[in-house]
Amino acid sequence: MTHRIQIDDEVREATREEAAAIDSAHVAAAAQAQQEKDKAASVASARTKLAALGLTEAEVTALLGA
Amino acid sequence: MGANAQTSVPTFTAGQVLTAAQMNESARTGVPVFADTTARDAGFGGAGEKTLAEGQLAYIESLDVVQYYSGSSWLTLGPAADSGLTLISATTIGSAVASVTVNSAFSSTYDNYHISLVGGVASGNADLSLQLGATTSGYYCGYSQVTYSSGAASAASNNAAASFTKVGVGTADSLFMNVNVMGPNLAKVTGINGAYGVNLPASTSVLFAGMLYNTTQYTAFTITPSSGTLTGGTIRVYGYKN
Repeated sequence: MTHRIQIDDEVREATREEAAAIDSAHVAAAAQAQQEKDKAASVASARTKLAALGLTEAEVTALLGA
Repeated sequence: MGANAQTSVPTFTAGQVLTAAQMNESARTGVPVFADTTARDAGFGGAGEKTLAEGQLAYIESLDVVQYYSGSSWLTLGPAADSGLTLISATTIGSAVASVTVNSAFSSTYDNYHISLVGGVASGNADLSLQLGATTSGYYCGYSQVTYSSGAASAASNNAAASFTKVGVGTADSLFMNVNVMGPNLAKVTGINGAYGVNLPASTSVLFAGMLYNTTQYTAFTITPSSGTLTGGTIRVYGYKN
């Protein structure tokens, strides 16, 4: 994929190496976003299970955070 | 009343014969300009010179400031030209660019810097990453996030990452970045901290602090969205006076 990049006030097409670096950053960012999403889902699941065990909301919050 | 205090601000009439005292009063009420403070001190009190007294003004070329004499010392009127924050550069982001590099941002003149980005838009919701120079490893940062609607807290981090990945945000109606950078041009570990608010459907505030763990001396940085492109807005770099 081609990218336009800006160096100070100059805008130009990225070289192959520069474009590869941007693509790599996008892949890494997507992976991190998915990791955060999975973690949030795990916390929500744990919250539900702990509530089912009879823990109060305050107790669940003490364990998992707000 | 001081030696130079006036009791009136006179207006002379056409054809009026002025006395030496009136001419002196006229000549002495302007703001004299001196090359430096040494020339200023030599400009008063000598033979044929005005007596220095409270209220005297002077402009100092070497300092680019206006000073006033308090009766015992010279004081600067308003902030000194090099005090506080100094704007180093302002870079306007072009149309639909995938990254923006700002060169000559950091130097030995300042130890600490502030980077702000505001006014533009992103092609979609995206985190903004910050990379110093060409370094693609050794970035460590912790991000504390709170969702406005629920107050729920969450966290994210960079651990030996390729950049600081969430130090700003872009949406279809805004760009925000607000970062302090400590010592990027020193041969020391570089620190960062900052904060911003996200105006997305799952809106959150984000606080962060971290470091780039090496001793490289940087002069440039690059901002890259996690996806899509940036358009418009201005990246401003300020130096904190040492």
